[in-house]
Amino acid sequence: MPNQTPDPKRFQPSKLTLLIDRFMTQFIKVGGVLVIASVLGIFVFIFSQIIPLLRSAEVKSGPAASLPAGNYAAIGADEWSELPFVAALDGKVRFVNPATGAVTENDLGQTFTALRYNARSQEMIGGTADARFAFVKLDYTAGFAKGGRNVTGEAKLGPLQALARAGAPVRAIAFGGDENGKLVGVIQQVGDKLEVHAVSLARKRSLLGGGQLKIEDDRDVTALIPGKPVSILVTAQADALIVAADDGQLHYLFRNGDEFALRQSFKPFGDLANPAIASVDFLFADVSLVATGARGENRVFSLYRKAGDDKRTFGQIKQFPALPGGATFFASSLRNKAFLTGAGSFASLRYSTTEAVRWGAKLPFTIARAFIGGKYDRLLFLDTGAKLHVFTLRDPHPETSFAALFGRVWYEGYPAPAYEWQSSGGSDEFEPKLSLVPLIVGTLKGTLYALLFAVPVALLAALYTSQFLHPNFKGVVKPTMEIMASLPSVVLGFLAALWLAPIIETRVPSILVMVILVPATALGFGYGWSLLPIQMRRRIPPGCEFLVFFPLLLVVLWASWHLGPVVERVCFAVTDPTTGARVGDFRLWWPQVTGASFEQRNSLVVGFMMGFAVIPIVFTIAEDALSNVPLSLTIGSLALGASRWQTAMRIVVPTASAGIFSGLMIGLGRAVGETMIVVMATGNTPVLNWNIFSGMRTLSANIAVELPEAAEHSTLYRTLFLGALLLFIVTFLVNTVAELLRQHLREKYKTV
Amino acid sequence: MSAATLDPPRPAPRSALLAPAPKRVAGEAKIWLTSVGLALGLLMVAGLLWIIIDHGVRVFWPRRVVQMQLKSDSPFEFQGRKIIAGSIVRHAEKIALDAAAIAAAQARGRRPKEWQIYVGNKDAWGQNFIFVDDDAVEAITRPADLLAIERIEYGQAIGEPVALQPKDGAAIAAGDPAFAPKLAALVREVNARRKEIEHLEKDEIGDINAQMERIKLDQKKIGDSAPRRVAALDAIVKTLQGQYEVLARTAGELRAAQGGWTLAYRLPGGEERTMPLGQIVSYYFPNRLTLFQRAGWFARNLRVFLTEEPREANTEGGIFPAIFGTFVMTLLMSLAVMPFGVLAAIYLREYARQGFFVRAVRIAVNNLAGVPSIVFGVFGLGFFVYVVGGAIDSTFYSVHLPNPTFGTGGILWAAATLALMTVPVVIVATEEAISAVPRGMREASLACGASKWQTIQNIILPSSIPGILTGLILAMARGAGEVAPLMLVGVVKLAPSLPLDTVAPFIHLDRKFMHLGFHIYDLGFQSPDSEAAKPMVYATTLLLISLVIVLNLAAIVVRERLRQKYKTGAF
Repeated sequence: MPNQTPDPKRFQPSKLTLLIDRFMTQFIKVGGVLVIASVLGIFVFIFSQIIPLLRSAEVKSGPAASLPAGNYAAIGADEWSELPFVAALDGKVRFVNPATGAVTENDLGQTFTALRYNARSQEMIGGTADARFAFVKLDYTAGFAKGGRNVTGEAKLGPLQALARAGAPVRAIAFGGDENGKLVGVIQQVGDKLEVHAVSLARKRSLLGGGQLKIEDDRDVTALIPGKPVSILVTAQADALIVAADDGQLHYLFRNGDEFALRQSFKPFGDLANPAIASVDFLFADVSLVATGARGENRVFSLYRKAGDDKRTFGQIKQFPALPGGATFFASSLRNKAFLTGAGSFASLRYSTTEAVRWGAKLPFTIARAFIGGKYDRLLFLDTGAKLHVFTLRDPHPETSFAALFGRVWYEGYPAPAYEWQSSGGSDEFEPKLSLVPLIVGTLKGTLYALLFAVPVALLAALYTSQFLHPNFKGVVKPTMEIMASLPSVVLGFLAALWLAPIIETRVPSILVMVILVPATALGFGYGWSLLPIQMRRRIPPGCEFLVFFPLLLVVLWASWHLGPVVERVCFAVTDPTTGARVGDFRLWWPQVTGASFEQRNSLVVGFMMGFAVIPIVFTIAEDALSNVPLSLTIGSLALGASRWQTAMRIVVPTASAGIFSGLMIGLGRAVGETMIVVMATGNTPVLNWNIFSGMRTLSANIAVELPEAAEHSTLYRTLFLGALLLFIVTFLVNTVAELLRQHLREKYKTV
Repeated sequence: MSAATLDPPRPAPRSALLAPAPKRVAGEAKIWLTSVGLALGLLMVAGLLWIIIDHGVRVFWPRRVVQMQLKSDSPFEFQGRKIIAGSIVRHAEKIALDAAAIAAAQARGRRPKEWQIYVGNKDAWGQNFIFVDDDAVEAITRPADLLAIERIEYGQAIGEPVALQPKDGAAIAAGDPAFAPKLAALVREVNARRKEIEHLEKDEIGDINAQMERIKLDQKKIGDSAPRRVAALDAIVKTLQGQYEVLARTAGELRAAQGGWTLAYRLPGGEERTMPLGQIVSYYFPNRLTLFQRAGWFARNLRVFLTEEPREANTEGGIFPAIFGTFVMTLLMSLAVMPFGVLAAIYLREYARQGFFVRAVRIAVNNLAGVPSIVFGVFGLGFFVYVVGGAIDSTFYSVHLPNPTFGTGGILWAAATLALMTVPVVIVATEEAISAVPRGMREASLACGASKWQTIQNIILPSSIPGILTGLILAMARGAGEVAPLMLVGVVKLAPSLPLDTVAPFIHLDRKFMHLGFHIYDLGFQSPDSEAAKPMVYATTLLLISLVIVLNLAAIVVRERLRQKYKTGAF
């Protein structure tokens, strides 16, 4: 017989089993950790997307190129800042390639006494000593040669046109307008007096097409300006002149046809000891002026309608930190509200909307002229030694700052600082308004009205279901509530907007009657019922009250519906201004009495429909907490003679209060983040009020509406991510608190 | 105490044991107040479902067409005529903010009512719906001769048939007994031909286009390096071009044949019009139908709705692509969410050391279920579409650039986003199910010498499958009904092709898709003619709601089974 002793290895598991087990252990551990990490990584990713919003500008010095010495009066560049140019008063325009240092000279053959460059139209205007002026067009052509882009530039002198005041040298010149008509502002020296002229040009149509800009009118407006003119500006719309005088006054001359009128004279630095103006220039869009004072004070003035005035005049909207001295150079961006200014060797890049200094530094040279590249990616400086410095600028999100996102901002053209969300406008010149405050207020408003309706209903239902309802019904009630929770919000939103809103619109009084009548009927009926003799009362077994109440509720709702118009006629009557008749109409009454608007898609509708989303959540959690109160407590209370109501209110509710509160928190979380109902059932206007009969725009709706249109990594895109992050944090915190409360409650129940 | 004699049915409600005391009991009235909450909640659910079902079902029921004779002394007229025919949409109180009108109505004691009527014939009148004041109507009749024709364009035509006119030959007048059978036969023929054209243009020509597209990309990839291959590909393109021309010619001939017969019909109260029969999808005499015929039309309309593609800016036809898109997306989502959710749950329950950290993670995961869905959409757009999709594009699809392949919204990213959104649901449900497996079973398995994984594989997972299933079904229900995140990651109002088809590689994860929920939003709010879109919205809503409720009921049933199983379990 072979050896009978069993092989001891039979107790050992097979190698394969062990191998698989070890593998699965590792697999599950790594996989599990990865899944959890990636789920939690959502927060990290969204956060990483908004960090660039808070970064300030990055400026790096780049190549520099030496130029021949000259009296340079203008500096500019092509759209990509690949070939900057400088123009000297002697008529030499020099194109510089900063990468190679190569300089191409373009001699216009005409000397000027004043020169000004308009970057937007890539045109210069020059005035001469013999009272003539000409436009200089800068033509850039980009070609592809030798595998790279090759930009060449050319300056073309237009025809010289004579000013009306002959022989008087031009001291300052500026222009605005388009190819069909321009306005030129000129300061001419006549003897030792300075005269200001407004010259309008119009395109004369000729049979051979094209046609040229010809002087239509040359008007002496010196009489309108008290004081000695120093510098002149013309708006891009060619509708106004701004003249700075040596006494620190700015004069705003408005053009009406061919007539000019002095609309406003003001001292930007009138409150200071030295009110002199060191420099004044327009910001992009030409509705704001940036002025610097003699000591470097830096202020922005914008056109807006002041109270009681139907004309737009300038008023101060921003105050920036002072420069070390009166500004010696100025440049504004062609894309946004940034401007570059400074004094001596100090340069500072500032952003008007956010009132923020994006960058500032003392450079190792004294700056004579500066320019901001067309794509807001280069800063060009021409120093006093005729050297051109090119700095690279990386500032993708200048439009926002913490203060602009959450605080009041005084926008261009606004009569006062405001919280405003308006991310896009009709033109490139639009100033984006990215305040999250109206959206946060909208979110809170929607949440408030949703909870106002949902919480009482849900808590009453939870209390009744857990304490008084006959257990046989629980099997029906709870799944029904679960189905309510699962209704897709797009369905709720659609019904709210297209079915409920038109119905409610004319029946607001009926709703008001319902709000009062329904609970009153319940209480009244209950009171009356409890007065009846026990034989009668026994007809309705305890726990079935809601079944009886069903038909009663229907009757009350029906009655309220029809009572509404009667109430409307009595309580909400207004006098019609046209006919003088008394009309009972809530839609007219509400705006007349409260001054607030009445819209069809309003918070009332949203609040009601959000009830479908919030009620089941609050109900389920509160009901759980109430039902799980240890039986010994209830039995004890009942045994001591308390009624079921007394037991419920004094024993059960206080014990379960933490759970009820947690239900409220989670309901709040749901209401805060609800998207589709709000998108569909409100007008989505970002407003800042708590009017129940107007709509709103919530953070979540804002994301749904705007994110599909936002360009990747744009400021709007990142701001919307910030909105998402806020939602995430709020809901996550609220839910965590609720969860901790529930855990605490569970522990408590164990010890009772 | 009399309460003792009360014999409560089966397990007594615990507070009811002592409930109604002989005299007045404190707080009874307030209990009635609390019952309001429950009654109101239940009424809300019932009311909402009733509205959806009522409106949704009605869409498919063929409506009668009425003819209204307007009062001659009333200023109201429609397009200069006093006769209106159409189906009644609504008869309700007039909504007008004209204060004088309201004052007059209130003086009379009731608000004026108005009819909303679908008059069709949009090609003739430029509008589909009109409102008629109650007071302006003289008489309402239902002429049996009125014909309702569903057309490819412009919605329905409503009028009296006059004659059928062949291209050459004698017309058949409407009174002729041969008229009805001829019309039926012709419409059948026209519809068959339309299907054929569609097949030719969409499948066959689409196929050729796809091949040519691919060859062009190949050529772009090869560039100048292999001129011989480029030339060979050019030759293929040429043959394809030839095939295309043949198909296009056939389609053109069929199209021409569609206009072979024309139908002359008379608009209510006026002129005659004609339409080529190729325009007709179906027709019926609404006032001649018997109940059974109506039921037949109901079934037919339902079938069209479920199986056909939308027409006319989605307001007519069916919603098959949306159903299919929702289905595929939910399926993909389930495929992603199931393994990951279960993996994470097993890790949390079985492998991770229970302590503060795991508790915190559990709470965090739990709470992710409460984070608004739009936040997941934002993440999906930023991470899946732009970061992952952008990376895939630049590595594998650089030939297609700058046209994005995966770097734009698509069904894969939609499914991934929703998977991320619903993974907490599955984790929580699975964890619960795992922890409900009795300790005894686990220990018995280990005592028998099974390894930990064997225990999980053979004991724990099988017995927690109902729980996992519940979680998955709930996740699917949530995923199917969610719209907000999808709007950001790839849902469109009209997708040219389905995400699954017969063209290799059969499943196209980069394609955009249609979705029931988004369909509702888009039809109701972005449609040029939102009134005409309403029936479709209600029908779609009914379908979506049914889907979600069925899934939820399934979850509830599965959960109840699970509960009973453990109740009667031997452990």
